[in-house]
Amino acid sequence: MVMAMSVSTVPAAELTPIARWDFSAEEASPLQPHGGVLRDAPGPRSPEYPDFAPDNTAIKLDGKGAYFSFDDAGVQSPYDFTNGDAITLEAWVQVSSLSGGENVYVIGKGRTGSSSFAADNQNWALRVRETQGKGGISFLFATVPASGQGNSDKHWHRWTTKSGFTPGKYWHHIAVSYKFGEPESVRGWIDGKPQPGVWDMGGATAEAPVVDDDAIWIGSSRGGAAGNSFRGSLDAIAVYREAFDDEVMLTRFRRVGEEVIVQPAPEVMPDLGELPTGRTLVALHEGMPEHNRWLNTDETVPPETLRWNSETFLLDRLPQRFDEWGIREDWKPPVLLRLAADVPLTPGKHRFLMRVRGLSRLWVDGQLIAKSKPVPGSPSGEEPMTPVASAPIAGARIAEHRQQEVFGEATISEAMIDKTGTCRVVLEMLVGGKAFRTDPGEICVAVESDDGNSFLLLNPTASAPVQLTDADVEPILVRLEESLQQFDDANRRAAAASQDGFWNKRHDFARQWATQHPAPSSPQAQPTSDVTANPIDAFLATKAQRAVTASAETPIAEARAFHENVLPILWDNCFRCHGDKVNGGLLLNSREAAIKGGDSESPALVPGNADESELMRRILSHDPDEKMPPGGDGLKSEQIAVLDAWIKEGAKWPAPPVTEKDIAPPKHLTDTEFLRRVALDTIGVPPSEESVRTFVADASQDKRTGIIDQLLIREEWADHWMSYWQDVLAENPTLINASLNTTGPFRWFLYDALRDGKSVDRIVTELILLRGSKHEGGSAGFEIAANNDAPFAAKGQIVASAFLGIELQCARCHDSPYHSTKQRDLYSLAAMFEQKPVTVPVTSRVPDAFFAKQQRQSLIKVTLKPDESVTPAWPFADATGSMDDETLTPLMHTSKGSRERLAALVTSPQNTRFAQVVVNRVWRRLLGAGIVEPPDDWEGHAPSHPELLQWLGQEFITHDYDMKHLARLIMTSDVYQRAATGTNRTTTPELRFFVAPDRRRMSAEQVVDSLCSAAGQELDVEELTFDPDARRPASNRLTLGVPERAWMLASLANERDRPSLGLPRARAITDIMEAFGWSGSRQNPRTDRETAANVLQPGVLANSTASVLLTRATQDSGLAEIAVHATSPEELVNSIFLRYLSRLPSDSERAPLAIVLAAGFENRLLHPAEISAITPLDPLPKVTWSNHLSPESTIIALQLEERARAGLPPDPRLRPEWREVYEDVVWSVVNISEFVWVP
Amino acid sequence: MHRRNFIAASASLAAASTLSQQTHAATLLKGKAEHVISIWLGGGMGALDTFDPKRVGDPKEKVAGSYYESVETAVAGVRVCEHLKNLAPLMDRVTAVRTVNHKVIDEHAAATNFMHTGRPVSGTVVYPSLGSVVAHERGAAADGAPPYVLIGYPNVTRGPGFLGARDSYLYLTDTSQGPAGLSRPESITPARQSRRQGFLAGLRNAQTPGDDARVREYEEAIDLSLKLSGPEFNRSFQLDSEPSDLRARYGGEFGQRCLLARRLIERGVRFIEVSHNLNFLNGSGWDVHNGGILQQHALIQEMDTAMSTLIMDLEEKRMLDKTLILITTEFGRPPEFDSGGGRGHQGSAFSCVLAGGGLNHCGAYGETDELGKKIVDDPVSVADLFATIHAAVGVDYTKNLYDGDRPVPVTDMGQPIAKLFG
Repeated sequence: MVMAMSVSTVPAAELTPIARWDFSAEEASPLQPHGGVLRDAPGPRSPEYPDFAPDNTAIKLDGKGAYFSFDDAGVQSPYDFTNGDAITLEAWVQVSSLSGGENVYVIGKGRTGSSSFAADNQNWALRVRETQGKGGISFLFATVPASGQGNSDKHWHRWTTKSGFTPGKYWHHIAVSYKFGEPESVRGWIDGKPQPGVWDMGGATAEAPVVDDDAIWIGSSRGGAAGNSFRGSLDAIAVYREAFDDEVMLTRFRRVGEEVIVQPAPEVMPDLGELPTGRTLVALHEGMPEHNRWLNTDETVPPETLRWNSETFLLDRLPQRFDEWGIREDWKPPVLLRLAADVPLTPGKHRFLMRVRGLSRLWVDGQLIAKSKPVPGSPSGEEPMTPVASAPIAGARIAEHRQQEVFGEATISEAMIDKTGTCRVVLEMLVGGKAFRTDPGEICVAVESDDGNSFLLLNPTASAPVQLTDADVEPILVRLEESLQQFDDANRRAAAASQDGFWNKRHDFARQWATQHPAPSSPQAQPTSDVTANPIDAFLATKAQRAVTASAETPIAEARAFHENVLPILWDNCFRCHGDKVNGGLLLNSREAAIKGGDSESPALVPGNADESELMRRILSHDPDEKMPPGGDGLKSEQIAVLDAWIKEGAKWPAPPVTEKDIAPPKHLTDTEFLRRVALDTIGVPPSEESVRTFVADASQDKRTGIIDQLLIREEWADHWMSYWQDVLAENPTLINASLNTTGPFRWFLYDALRDGKSVDRIVTELILLRGSKHEGGSAGFEIAANNDAPFAAKGQIVASAFLGIELQCARCHDSPYHSTKQRDLYSLAAMFEQKPVTVPVTSRVPDAFFAKQQRQSLIKVTLKPDESVTPAWPFADATGSMDDETLTPLMHTSKGSRERLAALVTSPQNTRFAQVVVNRVWRRLLGAGIVEPPDDWEGHAPSHPELLQWLGQEFITHDYDMKHLARLIMTSDVYQRAATGTNRTTTPELRFFVAPDRRRMSAEQVVDSLCSAAGQELDVEELTFDPDARRPASNRLTLGVPERAWMLASLANERDRPSLGLPRARAITDIMEAFGWSGSRQNPRTDRETAANVLQPGVLANSTASVLLTRATQDSGLAEIAVHATSPEELVNSIFLRYLSRLPSDSERAPLAIVLAAGFENRLLHPAEISAITPLDPLPKVTWSNHLSPESTIIALQLEERARAGLPPDPRLRPEWREVYEDVVWSVVNISEFVWVP
Repeated sequence: MHRRNFIAASASLAAASTLSQQTHAATLLKGKAEHVISIWLGGGMGALDTFDPKRVGDPKEKVAGSYYESVETAVAGVRVCEHLKNLAPLMDRVTAVRTVNHKVIDEHAAATNFMHTGRPVSGTVVYPSLGSVVAHERGAAADGAPPYVLIGYPNVTRGPGFLGARDSYLYLTDTSQGPAGLSRPESITPARQSRRQGFLAGLRNAQTPGDDARVREYEEAIDLSLKLSGPEFNRSFQLDSEPSDLRARYGGEFGQRCLLARRLIERGVRFIEVSHNLNFLNGSGWDVHNGGILQQHALIQEMDTAMSTLIMDLEEKRMLDKTLILITTEFGRPPEFDSGGGRGHQGSAFSCVLAGGGLNHCGAYGETDELGKKIVDDPVSVADLFATIHAAVGVDYTKNLYDGDRPVPVTDMGQPIAKLFG
């Protein structure tokens, strides 16, 4: 046995341990580190601890399961202790923090969680146990459970000291001695002093402990359970086979200097210096020690992280935290939040109210007048329902769910008020914690009015008092959110600007590169074409004309015969492997190639001679290794006859039949059609009624270009593109437990980037670099792939298909049968991403049995050895043009790390594939079909317009990778403005001319957003969270906020089928979205959703809860307003059509609807006296994860479902009988098919 | 492939599956069932406390074992828990498969996914649920009926995966309403509904039909949706047309779901999943950690009442032999008790139940050890269970489905329990 012994630096008594670990640099330690172990951390050092060297080192453990292990020496090893054996365990510890009731391991033998041993096999252990905020010491062992004792804890024997040391920065010495079999022999010492203790679990016992050959662990137990893991530093751990007395132990601890007694620092109002006049200072300090206590005397307030000025003492969220690139980052919890202002107060006694979530305290002019408790942890559903808070005074706004409401009194004397007539008020609160989301809830400070009839928000301005009522507070909250958002935007953009220099350089570099590698220039404009200003149209026209010319060389009937009868057979049966791909070196997609043949060197086609054509021989073969196509029943006899005749007649391969008629463009869109299309393509919703009217009336020549430019700068551009990238990048956050390939909500990273107009190369780089917060919106959320044992392979697959058009789905488990990509390609990409060598996980291996069963040589191959370690390497130099060499250097922030290289390789200008893939995606989204189809898998799929694609790619590269530049180019083309009669998506590249765009159905998001915007209603759904009170960390229960646009929704999967975990208003919306192809659960990346018609699509628009509510004239909605202000039934019908269909109705549409609206039209408004105000519904207790198992929560959940079905009340100004007819008219317009189609 | 709405496609699919059965007829097991009612016990039903009783334990003293006494059943040697007293005499029409097992026990959603798709989560494929595969292979049993209906909350696990929306479910969460999207919302009176449809008909007449095939298909979908949301189809959801004593025999909301399932079978629905986890009885449903177990008997009794009534009702209507009833759950529970007297999760052995469907029932299949922790005899993998269900309902369990180009076997190499096929 190799044992780590080092010369003891403790000179005291001659003590000989059987093992001692000093964690010094020279130690030849056989300890195996696991998890977050930091070596060479500072240990106890002289002069403060004179028994240690000034540079003594220790180990630091992260407390998440980090530990050292040390194997037992086998049967009867010196580490085995049984009855009659004495043991002493000692260690130096520096415990950063302890949570309530925690038992953390210093050292123990057994209970490692190893499957080779019984679970409860603790031979001995020394632990630190939390008791009343202190670290007590605890000795633990287990005896063999008596039979029938089952799962009880009686076989556990634990002795714990009654007092302990204060966690913090000081080192302490702890020790325990015991002689097994003699329970009263136990002794414990802290800092050399004996401590009284008690056998508090299982009781004292004379029985022998469990002895086996399980390992010795330092720092954790039970397989690395976080709850048992030591958080802090350890040094000089020793195990002895003898017991010691108090006298010996007294020598074991020496500290020079005063004995430091750590105690809570005095509670003094912080000195915040000068405060802004008339504003409330919001100051934030992240990284406080604990959520449940203020600072101790040995601690200082961390430096200020951020400050901001607010209107009043009211705040319902923290500003966002951004990293130095402007990417969302987590606040480092707990965060100290201070609200402070000099508030005008009158002399006399005042009663104050503070509403807070966590540990807080409130000072008025230096007097501490109110304190609250820390946030309690969250149970898993068993918490009793928390009743709705009662108002502190009639009519007042009630406190939010589980916000603490604390009152305090202060008497203000004349002397306290300074010459400006104000008095300083400071609120301090701890927000979040290691086990809590950093979310303060709605916090406020108010003061009771002098007449005692109301509470007034503390307001540093002398302006009109703000009552603590819903009516007064809600508008402030809206303003607060607006100004916070501005503050966040400014902070983020300022941080992002730090990188602008880098990106400007990159874009200069890209332009230089482009100059050296010119793209094809735009062809001459065709003289016959009427609109040729846009080069896109010139490219398209050139190809179309060429096809007509080529077609003219062959009689049209002959060409048709080949293209309609012969080619489809080859297409369906051969091209997959010998056209899209070059299997066996053979191509069959052109006459020349087929005559040339493949690796077999026999010509596949011998014109005029079917018998000598290899193609026919293989088609007719019965040999399973020869037969083509492989598998299946082979070609039908009539198909064989067609091919046979074709070859005999000379295997002619004429150009496809194309006539002038085929390339004649359809009509241009009308103004209203154009406006609807362009609005849906930029802001994701139809134009407003007013903008349609303005646009139609506008007589200027360039109004179409003008409106394109106006729309492109709208912020909703970001909303419109979000859903697309969420699908392509498989963004898949979850409200419950991470599972089924869930990711973090990197939606917020994307949204910020799109709103800020970041260039695409930059967005992709920042995505790949996985920055910022994993669970609260940084690009790091992209890294997560729950239940996926090769997450970086999954992410590599997504990046390749999204940005390189390379499909690697098959390569997860084997080489691709229809592609040239190999398993190695994917895993070397994964290794680049993960920055370390990787192996294929067992679950992604094809079992040998599979190959054994195959009769024919399998189509799939595994060329990677099962346990082969794959090192980081760029597999796509050939496919993309991007080389992993020194040319990358100027494209990287740092030359360190393969991930940075990966990002540069994907986004470099040399990677023309990247630019073209993005171009193709934008093109396709606007015109309904790609120049390359499909956009995520380019191998073997030729572009229909290679030169146009290169030209557009070059435009993109030379215009800072700006998506809007591309969109503008395409939208201003002639083809974009044509009626959507195209069939480009289903046509072969050769015959894809883009004479017209393809017809597109609205996306699910567009359907919902259009319903809202046309009705003039906001999306009315719940906050997407099960933890509104922020009592769990975001990694466990996040919030996605209250959705404002449809893309912000997420999977509401309720696998537990618990009504209490339903979000019924959100579900009403997702019912519509799911019918239209949306899925919040994006397990895999996808470019295309299903768009085929199904019965549920019209079904949900006609009958779903949301369709009823979104066609209702709810109070103050757009629908209510136009009904109230309509001048005639005809005008009202016009308005409805303009809002929903962006056009005026035809006479035959208008007339019948105007007639039904005319009945009662004059009388449609109630007299003011008849109007009864809408009474708000009583608030219901909040159903949360913490209480969702209580039976009451289900009852409340059902009430919420009922309320969700009932929806917002209709506008009380409208007479119900008339209003219902009106709503039915609106409903009928929504339900004609035109509503869901993009013109 | 061009996908059309489910109704249009169902007839041709039924034909296609007959063809493939002929090809493999020699080796395939094939039962007589035409429909499946799949009862889902979300949370994880403990076999020891239901269909695989063992010696009684003591939750207070932490002595492992069953929570309840057991009783004899119609099948000699097969016992069930005392709260299954109505099912006990019917166990000759039932087979409790006691040796189902898998390793996904740490997370409900992952295990739920496993027990719906028969496979672990893949990094690359979204697998279809059992219901979607049956819907895909066999379509609806009658014209104008959807192939697959879910009475429970929608989620991806229950969905069609790569098969696409055509093989997805219609869902409802409450028997007082019809399926979401195809039943008249309660706030719209029949008079309003018909006024709306009148306006819509007028507007649709005023439209100029385009020649875009996809728009035309959407128009057809509108026609069909108007038809399905009409009174004809929605009559199936009107439980009050059933005799009141029968409704009473089925019991509470869960029983009413089972009754609705029977009505939908009669209407031609092929596969119905009925979720039994209403939270009311014990808060946590079948996920009986800690105090959740105190009211577990009420859940068991509710299931017993509904299930036994369903069996007898189907038998009386001569539908039992062609309707396979299934009880599945994400995993089982161990014999030991947790610190709160409830139970954790166990995947090493647990019970799922088959009834009716023309199978050769034997009360119980497979054997576990003295505390139900380990399998002693006749293990049944989840794939085997799925193969058994597919075989029972006439689906070729050996064939491949296709995710694009990629062949995906119907089950993960599962073999049906041969003993059940006479």
